[in-house]
Amino acid sequence: MLTRLKTQVPLFSMNSYTKLREKLKLSGLSFASTHSHVIRLGRHSRHNSKMAVCIAVIAKENYPLFIRSVPIQNELKFHYTVHTSLDVVEEKISAVGKAMADQRELYLGLLYPTEDYKVYPHLIKWYVTCLHQFFSYQIVCILLYRHTRYGYVTNSKVKFVIVVDSSNTSLRDNEIRSMFRKLHNSFTDVMCNPFYNPGDTIQSKAFDSIVSAMMVQAS
Amino acid sequence: MSRQSNRTTDSKKMNAELFTLTYGALVTQLCKDYENDEEVNKQLDKMGYNIGVRLIEDFLARSSVGRCQDFRETADVIAKVAFKMYLGITPSVTNWSPAGDEFSLILESNPLVDFVELPDNHSSLVYSNLLCGVLRGALEMVQMAVEVKFSQDTLRGDNVTEIRMKFIKRMEENLPAGDE
Repeated sequence: MLTRLKTQVPLFSMNSYTKLREKLKLSGLSFASTHSHVIRLGRHSRHNSKMAVCIAVIAKENYPLFIRSVPIQNELKFHYTVHTSLDVVEEKISAVGKAMADQRELYLGLLYPTEDYKVYPHLIKWYVTCLHQFFSYQIVCILLYRHTRYGYVTNSKVKFVIVVDSSNTSLRDNEIRSMFRKLHNSFTDVMCNPFYNPGDTIQSKAFDSIVSAMMVQAS
Repeated sequence: MSRQSNRTTDSKKMNAELFTLTYGALVTQLCKDYENDEEVNKQLDKMGYNIGVRLIEDFLARSSVGRCQDFRETADVIAKVAFKMYLGITPSVTNWSPAGDEFSLILESNPLVDFVELPDNHSSLVYSNLLCGVLRGALEMVQMAVEVKFSQDTLRGDNVTEIRMKFIKRMEENLPAGDE
């Protein structure tokens, strides 16, 4: 059972701290804070223009037509993420309700940020051994990413969800909107392909290349 | 025999996407019906032929070009007048064979294939084969037998679309072969 540390963690000795930092650096993660009882790790990001971690297109009947995520981590997790954000999307759609005289496609904006926890067992062991000097076993949850999801719904009830990793510079609203516009445009192109049956998964190369251009490059 | 060109002002504008989608629906329905790419290619060619034998009259009425003296002139008229009039594009005429009886039309863009991506199970489908039939049918009505085929296609990954046309013979005053 993983529980968050309730007490403040005193700074451990410099020695073990530096060792831990090195170990983390080797796996490409960085320390954001040492004081808080939850260690925040973020990926080093050298590229700011491609920010999406996962992009999904969901049909009117709420099944995915296209879902692609950065293959570093567990893809299933992203599938769940997108699925849960559908609930929020539905809520927002129904909330607007009768006031939908507005003809514009619904840009739903920020759905909700989540703090995802992921446990690195080998790092835990390290950390725990460092901590052990100070107090007894407490297992930490390491806050890995903060994901924010953005949603966009068309008049034909096709939904687009973009999950971004917001530990990097936060994207401006305009950029997200333009990403959705691009996605929507290439989606209409896919629809116009006479060989595409609406309801099939999207296998178009042109669409793939637009999506890849938006995703974080797997380092 | 040519009508007065009072049809020149009659070209109404139509949405290109509707045209593209219509053609796409036609091809996919043929694919579903015949389930064999070669058969579909043949059908498209036949359909094109039927269009061509009728379209030539309209073309001659609208464009009021005279009789072409040789095949080169024919090629120029096809590229600069006919394609421009009906598809809004102007292909370039290149790759003349040494004997002067074969040439290529290079199309940078083909309005029939906007948004189209050929799926893998239709790799031998010549999507725009209708155009081949149209050219063949139209030229047959002016007593020229030609063979038309696509040698490059953007849908298959080439950079441009290339139509190869070969002059076979001048037909004597035969009746057209009729619908095959």
